[in-house]
Amino acid sequence: MIGGLMRETGFLLRDRAALVWLALALVLSVAAVGFGIAEVREQRATLATLLEGDAADRANAIAGQSDWGGAAYNAFHLTYAPPSAFAFAAMGQRDASPWVHRVRMLALEGQIHEADTRNADFGLVGRFDFAFLAASVAPLLLILLLYDLRSGERVAGRHDLLLATAGAGRRVWLPRAAVRLGGLALALLVPFWAGAAIEGAPLASVLQASALVLLALLMWAAITEIAGRAASSPATILTALVGVWLALALLLPALARAAIDARHPVPDGGEILLLQRESVNRAWDIPKPATMQPFVARHPEWADYAAVNRPFEWKWFYAFQQVGDQAAEPLAAQYRAARLAREAAAGRAAFFSPASLIEREFQRLARTDARAMIAYEDRVRAYHAQLRAFYYPLLFRDVPYDPALLAGLPVFTPEDR
Amino acid sequence: MSGAWRIAREEWRLWLRSRMVVAAAAIVAVLIAATAGLTAQRLGHEAVQRSAQQQAAEAAFFSQPDRHPHRMIHYGHYAFRLPPPLAIFDPGVDRVTGQSIFLEGHRQNTAMFADAKASANTGGFAVLTPAALYQLLLPLLIIIIGHGVVLRERESGTLAVLLAQGQSALALAGGKALALLGVAGLFMVPLVMLAAYGIAAGEAAGPALVLVAGYALYLSVWAALVLAVSLLVPARSAALGVLAACWLAMVLVVPRIGINAAAALVDAPGKIESDLAMLAEERKLGDGHNASDPAFDKLKQDLLEQYGVATIEELPVNYRGVVAGAAEEKLTRLLNDYAARRMAAEARQSEVFGTFALASPTLAVSAASRALAGTDLATHHRFLRESEVVRYGFVQALNEMHATKLAYADDARRSVDPAAEARTRINASAWRVLDTFRFAPDPAADRLARAWLPLALLAGWLAVLTALIIYAARRLQP
Repeated sequence: MIGGLMRETGFLLRDRAALVWLALALVLSVAAVGFGIAEVREQRATLATLLEGDAADRANAIAGQSDWGGAAYNAFHLTYAPPSAFAFAAMGQRDASPWVHRVRMLALEGQIHEADTRNADFGLVGRFDFAFLAASVAPLLLILLLYDLRSGERVAGRHDLLLATAGAGRRVWLPRAAVRLGGLALALLVPFWAGAAIEGAPLASVLQASALVLLALLMWAAITEIAGRAASSPATILTALVGVWLALALLLPALARAAIDARHPVPDGGEILLLQRESVNRAWDIPKPATMQPFVARHPEWADYAAVNRPFEWKWFYAFQQVGDQAAEPLAAQYRAARLAREAAAGRAAFFSPASLIEREFQRLARTDARAMIAYEDRVRAYHAQLRAFYYPLLFRDVPYDPALLAGLPVFTPEDR
Repeated sequence: MSGAWRIAREEWRLWLRSRMVVAAAAIVAVLIAATAGLTAQRLGHEAVQRSAQQQAAEAAFFSQPDRHPHRMIHYGHYAFRLPPPLAIFDPGVDRVTGQSIFLEGHRQNTAMFADAKASANTGGFAVLTPAALYQLLLPLLIIIIGHGVVLRERESGTLAVLLAQGQSALALAGGKALALLGVAGLFMVPLVMLAAYGIAAGEAAGPALVLVAGYALYLSVWAALVLAVSLLVPARSAALGVLAACWLAMVLVVPRIGINAAAALVDAPGKIESDLAMLAEERKLGDGHNASDPAFDKLKQDLLEQYGVATIEELPVNYRGVVAGAAEEKLTRLLNDYAARRMAAEARQSEVFGTFALASPTLAVSAASRALAGTDLATHHRFLRESEVVRYGFVQALNEMHATKLAYADDARRSVDPAAEARTRINASAWRVLDTFRFAPDPAADRLARAWLPLALLAGWLAVLTALIIYAARRLQP
């Protein structure tokens, strides 16, 4: 077997076409990993600038205030989801979903759907990251490396002679396929490992991802092998294999996406905002108790402080902001649940498409999947609730304004990735 | 020429006898038909829905009760981006950008609720749209059908016979080209129908026809590439390998590398980042809610001098409203300045991205396609600018009412005095100041102007490949 592998490695090194594919795989992998690391670094640098600017802006905003309500109105707070150490390999949903917000004490539904996403062309085309390379491009390269192992020899007229000399087909094809598959795997994975080492990605994730890539390549090798046994011309075999690739990597995921989106409709996002806005703005025109009642229902601890005597009081102002969120709550919960349902359905559908499966698995490991983005939004909601919990006692108990107390404002802590 | 026709006819006869070719073509045809039908239905529905939502938003604004005008500034308004008729073929950035935007005082919001954010994530490929099928799938079909056009003759030995009979190699290549173009032409039919549907739905004929011509050019480029490779490469399987690799590179790899490169080369700060820089500047301009802000001292002095009075209480206008209007004006100038910079940076990124079309006809045709359909980034930017005009219009009209229709004394006491508060509400009929907004596609000439460069690139590709075909045909050996 070792001799076979050595011999085949020698053959491979003299096969120009095969070397071109392997070199291409290596170049693409280096490019994908390099661009991934550059992007992750830029996002981290952006976050560092944002954190600095955010603190300065908040200090500045608070400086001119004379009451709690004004401070809460003017002070924005940065919330963010930093890229994980593995994110260089799969940018995933970070181009489509926002990963940074600046929120304040106003109704959250009006703020959390703000989309600080990048250039729309990016989301349209998608990035060339390692996950895409491994999921969609690598199988095609493997097919190009393996499809004419048998039929190529047949065309060259050596097929039967080879088999007769070797005794068993296995002894010819197995080492040959193994060397090519191994070469491709190394060309893809070595830059990935280097990138993972540079970024300090967790070993378990890297091993899991590598195993997944190898498994998928083995699966594609098996498909190629089955197709290659047919006594057809190499061109016919290649056509059939490209067809299989197209179906599994492109058509199936796209059809699954369309079907899932149709099956799990999300509520019209605009409705959430509309509801929240109508509720918030109506508060100015209705009697104050009509606002304070649903507020106190949610916060019975402020029942004794809920009387509003003047046309404008900050506690009433923030109460109707919260009541606005409460009005939109069922719809917002529906929106979130529908996204999770789509995500779960997409996870099930991915078992039928190795390309989808790899991309989704990489995004899961990188915490750049839809679930992670929703988890980030949940964190923003939790943080906003902390802000309310901080200000409500000050507003309702009518604590005299003391900017020193604002040092105790809750600080957003991102998920530890 | 009759020789070329005969060869083309013969090629077609062979294809029609090949089950694989017929099956592949049938699958692609069904996919295109289904996708076109579904996309047309979906976008038709979206257009109706958004247009209804736009009218509902206006009706909601008009039907608000008597209020302080500043409340209406915060009540705000919505602008919806209506999909243009040709979006049924190429929805472009529509699903990535979000279709509606909330317009209110003191802020420029982003377009929210992009479909892409909530869509099921099944991997890297974009959703199926007719445009994507034309860009991705038809080239592959042409490769699969056509990679052997010349090599088949070579491998079966008929090439030698044909050439020996005195058939000129150029006529042979012409016939094969004709056969391939026939396939491309057949698959142009759905696009022609969609374009006609678009024109019937109110699209200008120019962009629709150029869109059809652009895709015809694109498919011709692929047909030419397939023929050139079939002429130049010695074996069928090698030709298919080379073509598959070209497809992989031009359709999948280069566009995405272009995105990576654009992101790495041009730094386009996100909205929050540029907002932070702007907020620091804004604070220097003063807070429009607070009329005693020192930043408005000069405004106050000017007003007092203009009306020849000593205190703001004596002014014939409501000083608070004047301040609100002045602050909004300054702020908007700043917001527009930063928004313009952000859009310019994004446009520069898209330019960098666009240069990769030199290495990928797919990128060229997709850029031209989005521009012609009116679903490109530039159109979205125009949507942002036009909705900003609407925003500024109603906000300033309301500030004007604030300054001229309310008494300063009432306005200053409205937070503590219910009677003063009641007097600061103005009659709801005033809300009619809001301009109606209907987003329309760019004028045809603008869209054509944006599309000509990528189309010229495609023509360049075709010219180079045609030259290559002629060169290869001249030295064709059996």
